[in-house]
Amino acid sequence: MYNFIIIFTMKILNIILKIFKKNGGNVLGKIALKLNPNIIKNFKVDSQVIAVTATNGKTSTNNCIRYTLQKAGYKVISNLEGNNMETGIISTLLKACSLTGRIKADFLCFEVDESYVPVIFKDFKLDTLIILNFFRDQLDRNGEVETLILKINEFLKTYNNNLILNNDDPNVARLGKANPNNSNLYYYHADAYKNATKEMSEAGEGKFCPFCKTRLEYEYYQYSHIGKFKCPNCHYGENEIYKTATDIDLENKVFNVDGIPYHMHNNSIYTVYNNLAIISVCSIYEIDTEIVQSSLKDFSLDNGRLEEIIIKNSPTIINLAKNPTGANVSLRLLNEDSSNKDLLFVLNDKIADGFDVSWIWDINFSNLKNVSRIITSGTRAYDIAIRIKTSGFDAENIFPYLNLEDAVSKLYETENKKYVIANYTALQPTRKELLKLKN
Amino acid sequence: MDAKKTLKILYLYPDMLELYGDYGNIQVLKYRLEKRGFGCEIERYSIGDNNPDFTEYDLVFAGGGADQEQSILAEDLIKYKDNIKKAIQNGTFFLLICGAYQLFGKYYKGVDGNIIPGLDIFPYYTEAIEDRKSRCIGNIVINVKLGDTYTKVIGFENHGGQTFDVFSPFGDVLFGNGNKFGDSKEGFFLNNVIATYLHGPLLSKNPVLADYILKYCLDMKYNDDIKLVDLDDSFEELCRNELLKRFDI
Repeated sequence: MYNFIIIFTMKILNIILKIFKKNGGNVLGKIALKLNPNIIKNFKVDSQVIAVTATNGKTSTNNCIRYTLQKAGYKVISNLEGNNMETGIISTLLKACSLTGRIKADFLCFEVDESYVPVIFKDFKLDTLIILNFFRDQLDRNGEVETLILKINEFLKTYNNNLILNNDDPNVARLGKANPNNSNLYYYHADAYKNATKEMSEAGEGKFCPFCKTRLEYEYYQYSHIGKFKCPNCHYGENEIYKTATDIDLENKVFNVDGIPYHMHNNSIYTVYNNLAIISVCSIYEIDTEIVQSSLKDFSLDNGRLEEIIIKNSPTIINLAKNPTGANVSLRLLNEDSSNKDLLFVLNDKIADGFDVSWIWDINFSNLKNVSRIITSGTRAYDIAIRIKTSGFDAENIFPYLNLEDAVSKLYETENKKYVIANYTALQPTRKELLKLKN
Repeated sequence: MDAKKTLKILYLYPDMLELYGDYGNIQVLKYRLEKRGFGCEIERYSIGDNNPDFTEYDLVFAGGGADQEQSILAEDLIKYKDNIKKAIQNGTFFLLICGAYQLFGKYYKGVDGNIIPGLDIFPYYTEAIEDRKSRCIGNIVINVKLGDTYTKVIGFENHGGQTFDVFSPFGDVLFGNGNKFGDSKEGFFLNNVIATYLHGPLLSKNPVLADYILKYCLDMKYNDDIKLVDLDDSFEELCRNELLKRFDI
């Protein structure tokens, strides 16, 4: 009865929030969790539950899975707005459930913050867990990556359902060994793409074998520490692969899996990896290949994740970068594009960004190709300007502005193609400022 | 014509002690040397490489790392203890950040009571605070005496370890924690050794400190009083002013 009252009250509250055009976000979950800390146990779920976790790519991957399943005719409930902690997921459930707490859907599809996987799923059904990658990310907020991985490893020791893992990330593939009795393991892997390297060219983790501490050997690096690796001592990394991307051609935005071509909406190597996870999960649930093909081709988030818009006649590509790897993959795209370009980098140090901006020194700004000017902005505009200057880019062509409006108007003084990189709290204000200038 | 004056820097464990963009310190030093026409040679040493002779270098740099990696390399570094001591006596400059700062002391005592022995070159020691979640994290500003003048050094600290018995600190804390929670002193500074919790990286926002270290190394190597020409530090000044204003200092 008590839970009925909580659910009922939250539904009313949700209606009130809607009237005032406020998105429930985490609020409903927050209140419900206060009223009953075990509320999550009281939802009645028959749906298949899929969760995606990672440092980078959660939102894009999860939303594309939901899009694909819906295209296949299923009813899917998902936390699309990226509220990926316990309170956000409970909010999503509260909005979707009946008054008795029953969830009527074929699939529940969640993106889940890395540190909340064990918290949420110790008490909630989970049928398929997808883990994309682990990178260093806001160390002052999240702590070391290793601590996070160990927590998930502990949770997985008793987990027996589908586990989809990136076999090219040594921090992820190791989790397949957490429970030796779980035979539902699905590893995915990508062949080397054109700009894969023999040496690591960007900051990365996982240099040592997690099992025997031997230095890992890489056949190639795709980006950061993602690539084909193995431990020369204990052969960690040599897993049976479920899905392999071959013939990766980023210029034409296409790659093959099992001989079938998949076209992508954008041209970055990390999208290939996210798509491999999507192809794997869709294959497990026997979704029609043609539906997956068309969904990977069409799906785009359009909220500053590799979003492309034309502003004042300049093609402008906006991408979120919360951590060094996010920024490095954006710069990879910039360098792989032969046009003349200007770059805007917006760096904030608000609470959701982490106060520590030292991560910008792990961004590889060396040898930028055909970049004429770099504008910097955000609360740490000068820090990023110093960083770029020290990497060898001529200081005379670096223009820092604390004020975002000034930065954006400086950016469009030329007709070059524009690349815009913004960190977490900087992204939406930057987008808003850019869209003001859209013709 | 004289050969170009060049500093030789040894970068310790670049693949293990690189948690907070610490390599930026070396990039800043290299940038400031090359802008003035000096040369900069950077050599790296990590586990498995040929034994380095520390006395051959003008500057030795080591940064901070993850706990697991720190214990692996502590065992390795201790092999060079005598050589490192000799280099310090001969005047090689040592810049040690965070984990490296701790390693040069007597020991580091972890949360579980496990002891990682340090090089015991300096008499300070570090103990992790018992509550894993409680760490000294945040922006920090300290007042440092370099030669005859004081300068405000700005950085970021993130450490669970509390360092005790520092007889010669790096600076007085103006904002932030320091060697321990709420301490008035930060780091360790003795002649040609600076050890500190400040990352950021440290030298990127503190050009005066960077130049102090460079001048020391150049004068030492070439037995001269070398004048460093001024560089355009306008971004650095804007950055510092903005932060000092924010912290009300």
